[in-house]
Amino acid sequence: MKYFYTKSEQIQSIIKGLNLTKTLFVSSIIIGPEYTGKKSLAQSIFPHAPMVSGEDQEKIKTALAGSDELIITNFEKIKNLNDLDFTNKRIIATANYMGNSALIDDIFAFIYTMPPLIQRKEDVDYLKERYIEEAKSILMIENSTIDTEHIPLDLSLNTKSLKRSVYTYLIKHTMEAGDIEEILYHYLLKHLEGNDAYRQYLGLYEKPLIKAGLEKFGSQLKLSEILGINRNTLRKKIHEHNIDQEL
Amino acid sequence: MDINFEPFVEWDNSPFVLFNNEGRILYLNHSAELLFGSVNPKELYDLTLAYASAGFGYKTTSLALSYDAFMFHAITVGYENEEEISLRLYHAPAVQPKSKLQTESLIVTDINVLLEANIALFQAENNNPLKLLTDQDLPLFKMDQNHFSKLLRKVFHSFRSSDSIDISLKLLIGQHILINNKKESLAGLKITANGRYVESDEEIKELAGKNQIKAILKEHSILLEIPLIQ
Repeated sequence: MKYFYTKSEQIQSIIKGLNLTKTLFVSSIIIGPEYTGKKSLAQSIFPHAPMVSGEDQEKIKTALAGSDELIITNFEKIKNLNDLDFTNKRIIATANYMGNSALIDDIFAFIYTMPPLIQRKEDVDYLKERYIEEAKSILMIENSTIDTEHIPLDLSLNTKSLKRSVYTYLIKHTMEAGDIEEILYHYLLKHLEGNDAYRQYLGLYEKPLIKAGLEKFGSQLKLSEILGINRNTLRKKIHEHNIDQEL
Repeated sequence: MDINFEPFVEWDNSPFVLFNNEGRILYLNHSAELLFGSVNPKELYDLTLAYASAGFGYKTTSLALSYDAFMFHAITVGYENEEEISLRLYHAPAVQPKSKLQTESLIVTDINVLLEANIALFQAENNNPLKLLTDQDLPLFKMDQNHFSKLLRKVFHSFRSSDSIDISLKLLIGQHILINNKKESLAGLKITANGRYVESDEEIKELAGKNQIKAILKEHSILLEIPLIQ
């Protein structure tokens, strides 16, 4: 059985409400943005209920005929609601948005709102740790010195973008020189053209080199020594790559 | 022949009140005593003055009045001197529900489970403090669970901005209703707060009607008289 983890009080109330309706024949709907865990939540509470998508109306009709309990995902995609009879059935629907609010209000006894991840800081912390463990295992990362405290997390698409942030961060921070060379090779193979390409694509190497150097050594004087180039040349390149504006 | 008419007035089913010219009650019959649980004397005195005839005498006016569960269709205001004025109110006949309730499709339910689920739904959206006093021994009874839950959702939603909400659920001892020629007991679910929204009142009444429930909506409370259909 799936377990739905949350520290959000709002979602804990939803779980309590849904658990209480487990024995009742009522219609409930969970409405919230994409990738907030609506489907997982419904499945964790009603593990034996068949699940169908609102995109397939015929499948819903067949499922309704054969079962008293049904999870309907993407409810907003159902085209003809008048065709479906939910009388004395236990319906748990999920929808990414309200759609026709009067109709939703008429059909459903329980209308829950799933909050986005941005309002669930503790859930984000938990999911981040879970994705880090998962990514380390899948990507076979054994290096434990990676700083995972400061991963820039993208919550614009909830769990989807959060997971992507974790995976890309870990990939970027565990690359070897050979991997970077290979990435550059494939990138250049795809994009290389024109008549000024040498100067144009040299930035791919020079820019991160100078940016990282300035951050690491603090001053242009010191960096020019480390890089073994003239201070004026370094200054020219900083200006050329707009690094002075970015720092 | 000297007949004492007072006991006839006292036990008349229509409320009868006699006011003095300052609005103080000089006499009220048994039925009026019950009515004063739902309306204040000042309101009835104002009504009396508004519908009094121009000169001494008796005037009957048809008008629809409702005070909680009391509904009247006419009143008679009378006075024979400057000191006393009387008001008599005529009960409107109870309206029978238009549609017969299909009890076969109803499901035996524990109302406390539905109530708790609705409280959880309310608390998922609101942080208002809430007190629940319920009778766990209420018998299971038949209902359309989805319609009833919708009614509860609407009722709770009208208290979404209230500061403190008191919910009580209890058997209304001695009260019954006839449904499909069968006598059913009643339970009272009362939600009280310091105020509430009223925009869904019509919808609440309509949904209650569908469930054979009487909804009494006041400024600070909603009382649902729920038949315990067996």
